Amino acid sequence: MPIAQPTVLVVDDSPTVRKIVQMTLQREHIRVITASDGLSALTSVADEMPALILLDIQLPRMDGYHICQIIRKNLQFRQIPIIMLSGKDGLFDKMRGKLAGSTEYLTKPFDSVELVQTVKKHLVNWQDRMPAQSEGMRPRLRYRG
Amino acid sequence: MDQQDRIMDGDLQTLGLQSILKMLALSEKTGKLFVSSGPETLSISLRKGQIVGLHEEGVAQSDLLGMLCLVNKLDPPRAQMIREMAQGNMQMALAMLVERGWMSANEMQRCLEFAVTQSISHALRWVNGRFAFHRQIVPLETTMQPLNIDSVLLEALRQADEWEEIVGEGLTHLTRTTVARWLPEVSNDVRSLGLSQEYIEVLCLANGELPLQAVSLVLMTPEARVARIMVRLLELRLIEVVDTAMETELQQDLSNVIIKCQYTLAYQRHSSHPEQHLLGLITTLSECINGLLSHHGKFARSLRGRGQLPSAEIVRYLERRFAPSLQTLAKQHSILETATFAYGQLDCSDILTLNKVVKGEQLEEFYWEAVQGLAAFLRFVFTTLLTDEVGNSHTGRQLSVAWKVFLSEIDHEVQQYQVYRAHRHTQMARGRDTMQSSPVGLMQNLNGTPERDGGLRSPETQRRSI
Repeated sequence: MPIAQPTVLVVDDSPTVRKIVQMTLQREHIRVITASDGLSALTSVADEMPALILLDIQLPRMDGYHICQIIRKNLQFRQIPIIMLSGKDGLFDKMRGKLAGSTEYLTKPFDSVELVQTVKKHLVNWQDRMPAQSEGMRPRLRYRG
Repeated sequence: MDQQDRIMDGDLQTLGLQSILKMLALSEKTGKLFVSSGPETLSISLRKGQIVGLHEEGVAQSDLLGMLCLVNKLDPPRAQMIREMAQGNMQMALAMLVERGWMSANEMQRCLEFAVTQSISHALRWVNGRFAFHRQIVPLETTMQPLNIDSVLLEALRQADEWEEIVGEGLTHLTRTTVARWLPEVSNDVRSLGLSQEYIEVLCLANGELPLQAVSLVLMTPEARVARIMVRLLELRLIEVVDTAMETELQQDLSNVIIKCQYTLAYQRHSSHPEQHLLGLITTLSECINGLLSHHGKFARSLRGRGQLPSAEIVRYLERRFAPSLQTLAKQHSILETATFAYGQLDCSDILTLNKVVKGEQLEEFYWEAVQGLAAFLRFVFTTLLTDEVGNSHTGRQLSVAWKVFLSEIDHEVQQYQVYRAHRHTQMARGRDTMQSSPVGLMQNLNGTPERDGGLRSPETQRRSI
């Protein structure tokens, strides 16, 4: 029986950040999918049902706080841990992230080892959070922008 | 363990492993002998002076069943079934294979005997270390037939001599923990290379995960022989050596440098004034170069693995390696003459404080030249560094991709400025035409109104805003 691999969604407008995070996590045998803006992030969440989301705050079209709120309001996806990745390290920004429903907050520039540790911490028992779903019952996320 | 049970202990320098084993064999002792050197420990179970079991600690246990699959001696589904039942116990796994008729009892015995000989051969080469014999630890019943210490020692010493020979010949820098992997250029059909079966088997097992010692065990070929084959395969450029721990650390360190530079770049991006934008790019580029230089000071091939080096040596190395290229680039971009190496870092403070010396268009020109020069130097530093540190390995290729992505972000910023520059030149040309026809246009250009408002916006955006 093949061993299931957790999938992590990385949402960041910088291709460098997406690539580095992908490279770092793949080394830890974690499957990584990426999105460069809010809308494609929501599409990926609905299609791929990631075990964890790494979410940048400053994104084109829709900011990270907004995406986080949308996911938290959805019954199917509200259990997914969301780690905010941001260059803003003020207390207010962290509070805002917390209020939007983020699980953890990592400040850029982040350390690769710290990133791996944080991701692994939230991937414990990830399979328990995954609802069994058939093709016909694929969850939908709607954005009323 | 009770002190009284330990009937013999001491230093390996005083009494070597060979003598200890001989002594225990002659006196037909039963118990467990512990031999340790550094992080490694070997425990040899004896019954009436014969070896009945051996356990190695401090060495990662390889998946023997997976290895048997790689050399086509076992089906993957069968291996998976046995793996789940044996739960990492090699002896139990082999016994199950025999029970199911997937391996002969003889083959199992040979395999276990080989594993014991291989471990003892390795321990025979330990110079420093301790040993202790405990008589009360009676070994459990095992599937292995008891082994005669003399015959094991004879073969183990022969294998140890082979290793010494290799080291003496200066043939290889390989160790029993060396991991090798196929180079991506290797085509699927290795038969066309005219290699012998032995070479092909080693090649098949060089999957980037198995250490030399594990390859040796599954093929039941002495480690020194496997090392010789690997040397030949390396020469043929069919495999490459992987230092997994070092490569992981290297990748993490370099990733951190890139992430920090990307952050600086994103932070500087907000400035819309051209001079500030260029200054931001210079800061990013110089920070990035210095980050890479610091990294290379830790991971350069000729510096690593030598413990804590004096910083002066690292500085000398970095300057010797990179200063000539900086000087060459300074011939094309003369502003780089003001950048110097200090303590293994590129000092760009003269460029960054140019605003105290010049201003206006001249300052912008200097900044632009510095951006172009530093961008070229940055590319050179990274290429040199990557080739030296990891070469054309899997890690090297991955880092190269990440680096190209980061460079594309820098290029995008540079292009934005180029667009702005082109636009400004067009505006100035138009301004000259207007100047000839209208005195109002002259006033506007002298005030520089369009640029002040427009900043780094593209001509398209500016057109729309007008």
